[in-house]
Amino acid sequence: MNEWISIIRTIIEAGTPLLIGTLGQIAIERTGILNLGAEGIMIMGAVTGFAFARITGNPWIGLVAAILIGIFFALIHGVISISFNGNQTISGLALTMFGIGLSGLIGRNYIGIPVKHIPRIPLFPLDKIPILGQILFNTNPLVYLSFLLVLIYWFILYKTKIGIIVRAVGDSPETAESMGISVTKVKYLGTIIGGALIGLSGAYLSLIYIPAWIEGMTAGRGWIIVSLTVFAMWDPIYAVFGSYLFGGVEVMQYILQPYGIPPAFLSMSPYIVTILVLCIASRESIKKRLGAPKTLGKPYIREK
Amino acid sequence: MANKNTTILIVAFIVGLLVGTAIGYFIPNPGTVPKSEYDNLKNQLQEKEALISQLQDKLSKLEGKKIKAAFIYVGPIGDYGWTHAHDVGRRYVDQKFDWLETAYAESVPESDAARYIERFIKEGYNVIFTTSFGYMDPTIDLSKKYPNVLFFHCSGYKRSKNVGTYFAEFYQIYYLNGLMAGALTKTNKVGYVAAYPIPEVVRHINAFALGVKEVNPNAKVYVRWIFSWFDPNKAKEAAEALISEGVDTLAFTEDSPTVVQVGQQHTKEGKQIYTFAHYSPMLKYGPDTVVSGQLVHWEIIYQDILMKIYLGIYNNTNLQNVDYWWMLREGAVELGADFGVPINPKFVPELKNKVLDHPQFGKISVYDLVMKRLAQMKEETVLFDPFTGPIKDQNGVLKIPAGERASHDLLWSIQWFVDNVVGEIPKQ
Repeated sequence: MNEWISIIRTIIEAGTPLLIGTLGQIAIERTGILNLGAEGIMIMGAVTGFAFARITGNPWIGLVAAILIGIFFALIHGVISISFNGNQTISGLALTMFGIGLSGLIGRNYIGIPVKHIPRIPLFPLDKIPILGQILFNTNPLVYLSFLLVLIYWFILYKTKIGIIVRAVGDSPETAESMGISVTKVKYLGTIIGGALIGLSGAYLSLIYIPAWIEGMTAGRGWIIVSLTVFAMWDPIYAVFGSYLFGGVEVMQYILQPYGIPPAFLSMSPYIVTILVLCIASRESIKKRLGAPKTLGKPYIREK
Repeated sequence: MANKNTTILIVAFIVGLLVGTAIGYFIPNPGTVPKSEYDNLKNQLQEKEALISQLQDKLSKLEGKKIKAAFIYVGPIGDYGWTHAHDVGRRYVDQKFDWLETAYAESVPESDAARYIERFIKEGYNVIFTTSFGYMDPTIDLSKKYPNVLFFHCSGYKRSKNVGTYFAEFYQIYYLNGLMAGALTKTNKVGYVAAYPIPEVVRHINAFALGVKEVNPNAKVYVRWIFSWFDPNKAKEAAEALISEGVDTLAFTEDSPTVVQVGQQHTKEGKQIYTFAHYSPMLKYGPDTVVSGQLVHWEIIYQDILMKIYLGIYNNTNLQNVDYWWMLREGAVELGADFGVPINPKFVPELKNKVLDHPQFGKISVYDLVMKRLAQMKEETVLFDPFTGPIKDQNGVLKIPAGERASHDLLWSIQWFVDNVVGEIPKQ
């Protein structure tokens, strides 16, 4: 029993950076901006968070620094996509390559040194609930934050006017504009929120999950976020399932290894599911009912 | 006239011969020269020789004789494992020898190595170190194309007249770590997070398991493969999986300090996990969990190779049999949680209190056993080898007969586990 509690908790902890990152990605893409720079933003968050935590000796300052660098990096992509109507695919890819390179350069001095990391903090009195308390409320603070974020996202996106505006901007910016909404402002806002969360997810890796800076430590998680966003169909609730599924697969590989299940099979399985979801989601009749922003990747050029 | 002259010459010659023989007869032969005089002469000669070599040195410096060595790395120098350790070695020799100039390329894909090597050669680099097994074939191919360049390939087995091989081997240290792991485990379950099922890793797991068995025949070693040399996430998840199955002691072959950090976290939360560091000093990552570990000194090997190239001992015709397989004796590897800290002081009392009845040494504490074995393996003639029979595999088949030591070839290609390892070697 105890064994399974610790396994499930590990799955949630492994899935949390994906969840936070995916929520960020949803914020950006809901406004119609395709973001392939997630890996670059994430790894910059990881290195910046680590560096500031190391310099100040306070991991919380590291988290704040990671949020700020995430915003800054996302804004590079934002300016190119929103103000200059640039090619979003190329801009995003460039951001990823730039981020990976720059983080390696910045991180040179932080290799092989430990950092004060953020430990598990039981959330009293919720952690006293049998079983569930140990799984959900005896873990690290960013996991609690991710629960909260999902609720806020769901509420804003589906229950408030802001949500309608964001969805309108992603689906039909012309209509939104004609209703007197500043499309540019909404897109920038989405970019800022998204960048902050993706940067934070990077710092989760370097300050909580594996408290160290190691070059290339995001190891493709940024790309998993990109595919998870599609998998979740830009919906925060589905993002929870998707993130824990990917996290679960990562953890279960090693639980199941002694039973002769090849790890390669398990590590590819979430991608198979992603492909399946994509196939289903691309059918016109279903597409209409899904949350995919219709103008994703297309620059919005205002008619004069 | 001519005749008379000839006669005189002949007589003079004969007289000369006689006189010469007589003198030769009376002068003592060299063997009876007083020893002090002989030594004196020899010393003078040696001094002259030293002077000559010094002058040659200076001359070659004036002529600008330089060795330009390029290093090809498979990972980033920031991996804090394999590539990092090689780069520490490179920086050491670069600083030490003023006739040496070095350069490196990091994260070089194995399929793309040839392009990087050729670029270095075109820039005038005349010694190339290729530091990953996968670089073996490109190295050999290019050595034929550039017969004047010296190549050294790390961890491979193909050599030629201008390609040598080198490796700093850890199995002795894994064995020592195994001794400590067997003594410390409370659950009799020892975990091992392993990179790839290749002979090198299998050998290390076996050496570790043999150490565990020597002090604790009831303990088993549980292996998880992560199929990556460097992936902190996978290492973390594999370590967590092992711990959730009741493992309380962890060793690993992977290039990040992740396993140590997992151990530290669990220890901080009140569950003591013992870990053994790999490749780089990791004590600071887990002061409460790291017991010991294996450390490498590539600089010892690089220094030796480059010095011998500089002195002309190695050249582009005689590397066919140059194969460094250096261990404790040569100082290429070290037992330690950190340089100069063989065992974390925190765990020394526990290891000293654990006394066992050893077939060879009688009543002995594990701490003393580790130190004794360490000393034995450091001797000029290595007095002990972990792979000494009888050793059985998982199926109970006797693989190494009693009293015999495993040969280099056997260790080099080993693809079976010793009998206290749980887990299998996946087919590649």
